Amino acid sequence: MLRFLLFSFRRAWQGFWRNLVMSLAATVTMTLMLLMLAGLVIGLSGMDAGLRFVEQKVEVQAFIADGAPQAQVDALVAQVRALPEVSQVVYLDKQQALAQWQQQLREQGKPDYSSETGTNPIPASIQVKLKDPHVYGSVIQTLQSAHGVVTDVLQTQQVVDALLTVTGFLRTAGLVILGLVGITVLFIVINTIRLAVVARGEEIEIMRLVGASDAFIRWPFIFEGILVGLLGAAITLGILGLAAQPIGQAVATLVGQVPIQFDQDLAQQLVLVVGGAGIALGGVGAFISVRTYLIR
Amino acid sequence: MSTSPPRIAGAIAASAAVHISRDAAPLAPSSTDAAPATRRISLALEDVSKVYPNGRRALADVDLVVPDGDFVFLVGPSGAGKSTLIKLLIRDELATSGTVFVAGRDVSRLSRRDVPRLRRRIGIVFQDYKLLPHKSVRENVAFALEVTGTPGRQILPAVERVLALVGLTAQADQLPSQLSGGEQQRTAIARALVHEPRVIIADEPTGNLDPLISWEIIQLLLRINELGTTVLMATHNAEVVTALRRRVVALEDGRVVRDEVGGYHREY
Repeated sequence: MLRFLLFSFRRAWQGFWRNLVMSLAATVTMTLMLLMLAGLVIGLSGMDAGLRFVEQKVEVQAFIADGAPQAQVDALVAQVRALPEVSQVVYLDKQQALAQWQQQLREQGKPDYSSETGTNPIPASIQVKLKDPHVYGSVIQTLQSAHGVVTDVLQTQQVVDALLTVTGFLRTAGLVILGLVGITVLFIVINTIRLAVVARGEEIEIMRLVGASDAFIRWPFIFEGILVGLLGAAITLGILGLAAQPIGQAVATLVGQVPIQFDQDLAQQLVLVVGGAGIALGGVGAFISVRTYLIR
Repeated sequence: MSTSPPRIAGAIAASAAVHISRDAAPLAPSSTDAAPATRRISLALEDVSKVYPNGRRALADVDLVVPDGDFVFLVGPSGAGKSTLIKLLIRDELATSGTVFVAGRDVSRLSRRDVPRLRRRIGIVFQDYKLLPHKSVRENVAFALEVTGTPGRQILPAVERVLALVGLTAQADQLPSQLSGGEQQRTAIARALVHEPRVIIADEPTGNLDPLISWEIIQLLLRINELGTTVLMATHNAEVVTALRRRVVALEDGRVVRDEVGGYHREY
């Protein structure tokens, strides 16, 4: 078994170099495809993180009219809290709301001019967290029906829904493009390995005649395909490794308050996805090629 | 399993004379020929026909039995079916009808996995040598063992042994392009021998060689035959066939037209 593996690896290696131009073409295409794949994974995980962040935020927010009687406000809070869909209700009075806003400004590094006005422009609000962010029940109606107390009801869910539509579209479009590129890569690998098979036609014939088993004839080519995939994956991960720092910074400046992190998890996921896709495409392409041109 | 001939091969052994006339029913178990029943059968074709997909009939009703240790010439004009017969024996092609036995096994019943094992029991030599140009003599011979998964420590001794047998020890490190035609063919024979096959099948092994060198190759094959390996040699070389007075099987239009010892090889 070990001999078989060594033999196959050695011949795969020789085959790769013997047919260098085609091997490199396959590797470069593979790399491009894997880069797209990595981009998709990063983008989607970023969007997912953004979505989770938005969903975590207050889901329904009702702004309280200035000067509404505190008793009515308290009653409304109690009424909403009693609803079965609600997990948590927080009442922020004008001072707390202002303080929170000022803190957000500080976190984003923006200048705070609120002290200039002398008055507090921020309304008090009731912030409602739902048990399931997609099930409102009668929360909205309850809040809206409190005329004179509530000026406006803001549903974060609408934002989330819009985001979901966008991410869903991007995901589908990305997967379609990726699929097309994947098929292209597959054909290039098939062709590369086919050339390798043709180049070794004489050897293959001799191997058959002296009684080499199918595995000995076939696996070197499959390993050659896997080699292309591995090399493509390695180059892709290398590029990503070099680019991780600048990309991270770019994303941080683009979407400042969404805490997207390029952490260990994402890196691991990328290594698995990119490596797996490379090996699978290379191996499957070579397998198909060998099946089509070698078996008789 | 493969070393014990199946029942039918036993029957062949019981009935087979060393040479069989065209009209005899050599496989009939009731045959009373005084045959050397102790000899096993290397190769046997039983009523074999081969029709290619394009409709060409390459072999028709061929019966042929080659016991272990025989040296058989296969002669006939181009297109008579010699190459097809050899392809059937190495299971490069399957017979359209009839049965082909090699080393006691019906080749049409071999599983994919068993075909390579069968081929290791047959050494094949071609007119054009089929050596790998970028490998030395030693590497060419060792290749046959490498690609069949032979353990590394067994390869070199086996290679050196067959190189000594064919007289190429001194040329072991040379490339095929540095060798004469005879030496290249001896390399091919060494490669065919390295699995210690029961049968050597040589398809026009002297076709590209001048008469003197041809004789060297024939001598080598005879020596290998004396060491116990069955040899089936397809050839056009009338001089050799006539001089050696061995068993000669003549094919014409896909049929065995003669099968006799020392048969005069007509000029085709």
